[in-house]
Amino acid sequence: MISKDLSVEFLGVHFENPFLLSSSPVDNCYEMCAKAFDEGWGGVVFKTIGPKHFKINEVSPRFDELTKEGTPFVGFKNMEQIAEHSLEENLHDLRHLKDDYPNKVVIASIMGTNEEDWETLAQLVTEAGADMIEMNLSCPQMTSHEMGSDVGTNPELVKKYCAAVKRGSDLPMMAKMTPNITDMVPAAKASMAGGADGIATINTVKSVANIDLDRKVGLPIVNGKSSISGFSGKAVKPIALRFLQQLRTAAGLEQLPISGIGGIETWQDAAEFILMGATTLQVTTSVMQYGYRIVEDMKNGLMHYMEDQHVEHLSELIGVANKNIVPAEDLDRDYKVYPKIDWDKCIGCGRCYISCFDGAHQAITWDIKTRRPSIDTSKCVGCHLCNLVCPVGAITTGEVVMKPGTKGNPEDVQIESSRLTHPVQ
Amino acid sequence: MSTKYEKEAPSYTMTTVMEEAARCLLCHDAPCSKACPAGTDPARFIRSVRFRNLKGAAETIRENNAMGAICARVCPTEKYCELACSRTGIDCPIDIGGIQRFVTDYEEQEKMDILRKGDSNGLSIAIVGSGPAGLQTAATLLQKGYAVNIYEKNEKAGGYLRYGIPEYRLPDEIVDVEINRIVNLGAEIKYNVTIGKDVTMADLKADHDAVVVAVGASEAKMLPMFEGNPYVETAVDFLARVKEAKGDIDNIPASAVVVGGGDVAMDVATTLKRLDVKNVTDLVYEEFDEFKASKKELDATQKAGVTIVDGYVPTDVDGNTVTFKHRHLDSEMTIKTDLIILAVGQQVNTDNLGVDTDHGEVQHAGYKTDDEKVFFTGDIAQGDKTVVWAVRKGKEVAEEIDQALLGGNK
Ligand SMILES: Cc1cc2nc3c(=O)[nH]c(=O)nc-3n(C[C@H](O)[C@H](O)[C@H](O)COP(=O)(O)OP(=O)(O)OC[C@H]3O[C@@H](n4cnc5c(N)ncnc54)[C@H](O)[C@@H]3O)c2cc1C
Ligand SMILES: Cc1cc2nc3c(=O)[nH]c(=O)nc-3n(C[C@H](O)[C@H](O)[C@H](O)COP(=O)(O)O)c2cc1C
Ligand code: SF4
Ligand code: SF4
Ligand code: SF4
Repeated sequence: MISKDLSVEFLGVHFENPFLLSSSPVDNCYEMCAKAFDEGWGGVVFKTIGPKHFKINEVSPRFDELTKEGTPFVGFKNMEQIAEHSLEENLHDLRHLKDDYPNKVVIASIMGTNEEDWETLAQLVTEAGADMIEMNLSCPQMTSHEMGSDVGTNPELVKKYCAAVKRGSDLPMMAKMTPNITDMVPAAKASMAGGADGIATINTVKSVANIDLDRKVGLPIVNGKSSISGFSGKAVKPIALRFLQQLRTAAGLEQLPISGIGGIETWQDAAEFILMGATTLQVTTSVMQYGYRIVEDMKNGLMHYMEDQHVEHLSELIGVANKNIVPAEDLDRDYKVYPKIDWDKCIGCGRCYISCFDGAHQAITWDIKTRRPSIDTSKCVGCHLCNLVCPVGAITTGEVVMKPGTKGNPEDVQIESSRLTHPVQ
Repeated sequence: MSTKYEKEAPSYTMTTVMEEAARCLLCHDAPCSKACPAGTDPARFIRSVRFRNLKGAAETIRENNAMGAICARVCPTEKYCELACSRTGIDCPIDIGGIQRFVTDYEEQEKMDILRKGDSNGLSIAIVGSGPAGLQTAATLLQKGYAVNIYEKNEKAGGYLRYGIPEYRLPDEIVDVEINRIVNLGAEIKYNVTIGKDVTMADLKADHDAVVVAVGASEAKMLPMFEGNPYVETAVDFLARVKEAKGDIDNIPASAVVVGGGDVAMDVATTLKRLDVKNVTDLVYEEFDEFKASKKELDATQKAGVTIVDGYVPTDVDGNTVTFKHRHLDSEMTIKTDLIILAVGQQVNTDNLGVDTDHGEVQHAGYKTDDEKVFFTGDIAQGDKTVVWAVRKGKEVAEEIDQALLGGNK
């Protein structure tokens, strides 16, 4: 079994590996965190602890899923707020986790309704022995507008509350941002101005996932009604990566320390977040679906990736892809690449034909007798929709041509993409 | 282009293996993993495939089983892991063998080198026989730091992997790859040496710290009435002849009669069909409801076009003409044919090897003999006579040797 050093330094704290449970029911109590540590997680962001005066009263049921064809959990919707356990129980658990797992990182997630709450909670979790604080400024379904994403979208409040936490504690602190915002940069900058040391993102995306067609109400149904609430899991990964990219390319935030969250399930997802600037990685939905054991393949797969990339430390990979994601106006628009169809691989299903006709440029001709497609280069725009729909990977990239009136050598164009080839033939 | 005899069933692609892995329920306390005789953890490697960690999947398979790519192809999974699979409660079990084949092919494609030789402990072990049991014993011992010499009476290594199981189920190339891994770990294989004849056990014991006898059941059984008949060939001789010639044998008969109803008989009958023998008739002592061959093999053989007649025993033979009688009915059948193949079992020959067997196996559990330097394993040890059991017994005898010589300490 491969063995490589996965450790990272984040906000001055040493993590034996970057994989953390994100704040949610997956790390609600001591037993859960202990089991997760035993199965190999590097740390936990303990379920968000609120002030004593704020009473949590949850609905039932509280989850829903988005599916597509045979695939469950494409996305996951939850209507849950913050910790249901009492403040005393939570502080007790934090203390014992730190006692029993001194080499694992215990991060306390907190949420207050005013400066005093934030400051007090910061003090309490520091006394309980937490290694770091995460401010939950981002839960989209709180029953109070003084809390959650309503606060996180208001840079002034963000800055004020970050400062309050810093008054209550000198632990390293990250502010957890909401994606329910057009531009995350002002909120992130406000956090840093208030004293945050880094950013955690994303929390869940506001959603209505499904409607019950007979009862005409969203799911899950809570005594005949439903609410807008947070969406997570695989479907939100693209949204999360986009926010990481925008943060790390904003002026002044190029070195921003980020704990990346949103739809992480495999080592490949993890590697993508790292390449987009995350140092640590947080996970909830895939753990809810599959259990803590998923960390085994994330760690092992990441080690093999490091080996393949000839990298000794994950730090060498952080943010490496950021420079290759550029504004749309900066992309090379001087060429197109035609698809290439391998007729030996083609099984004659005609899906490429349908998609090209109905969703692209009518550039595929279909031989009714042989059941084989061919490309009409006079119509093909090189969009590669056909590649994405082909079930056997028979369509890859072919000839590169320069557009009329442009200079440049087609041979210099980089067109390779792992999406366009199949790893095992 | 490979011939009909050589052609393996198609394997998964990246897309289709994910579809199959997606059917896996990722069970808690997975029953498939408890049902593998060799202790492979299918639930674990399928989960790795599911989460796109193919290299991790390959490690899980290879570290447990030095014959991983072979077991993927020949293991009677319907008796072991797939029999236990929870997915059966919905429709049909996960194709665990197929997924394992995909992963081990990937391992080879990526030239992964997973097994590591242990630091030398200065001890050396002789292994008699290079079948799967001998090979696995070697792999486990090498990882523990022993030097290993394998003595094989044939020209090539692999036992029935090489000379028994037909090419279309187990390509020679795969056997080569698996054996090379073990040679690369440091095994020395000496060919064309029959222990007990060319070299004595006393010599082996003098030169090594322990000797493991892993000779399998490498000789064919004969029925007295067929002795010396030029139209008669034994199943294992026939299979070896065809496999060595890659199916390109002289004098392909127009018709053949196979006697026997086990998996070996099914391999013979199917091989004959793949060689385009027009009429292949298999006469079987057992009736269908008491059949020895696995359902999978039986179905495949019938699908290949073999006529299987159950409940008959040979009572008379005159050159190429055999008479069979039904065991219970008043029925007789006489067939004239070009080739008669006897698939009535294999027997063990442990002459001069210091291991006593009866009915094909040593009559006590475990792997030790009265001589503290001599161990045995594989088909001659108690337990199923399959490759995966040979792997299990190979690992277990290696542990027993390590325990005996070093008390299990490094
Ligand atoms: C036709 C056929 C098909 C089969 N199909 C399957 C299948 O699909 N799946 C499955 O799981 N099992 C199958 N089996 C059973 C499986 O092959 C055996 O259980 C397995 O090979 C036993 O391994 P082994 O190492 O104990 O013995 P063997 O594979 O028999 O190897 C013994 C080796 O020892 C050598 N040897 C013997 N005597 C000496 C000596 N005195 N000196 C030196 N070398 C010696 C032999 O030449 C041979 O190489 C099949 C068997 C046959 C015959
Ligand atoms: C049921 C549920 C409860 C959650 N509770 C919290 C919480 O208490 N505090 C918090 O900061 N985030 C909470 N989250 C958000 C997650 O921590 C995480 O940011 C989000 O789910 C995206 O990651 P994922 O796709 O891996 O689930 C919760 C998410 C879910 C699904
Ligand atoms: S690249 Fe686009 S336009 Fe060209 S054949 Fe494919 S789908 Fe049609
Ligand atoms: S989608 Fe692929 S397999 Fe189907 S017709 Fe087109 S090229 Fe052939
Ligand atoms: S028993 Fe079947 S469904 Fe369950 S983990 Fe094993 S292969 Fe998957």
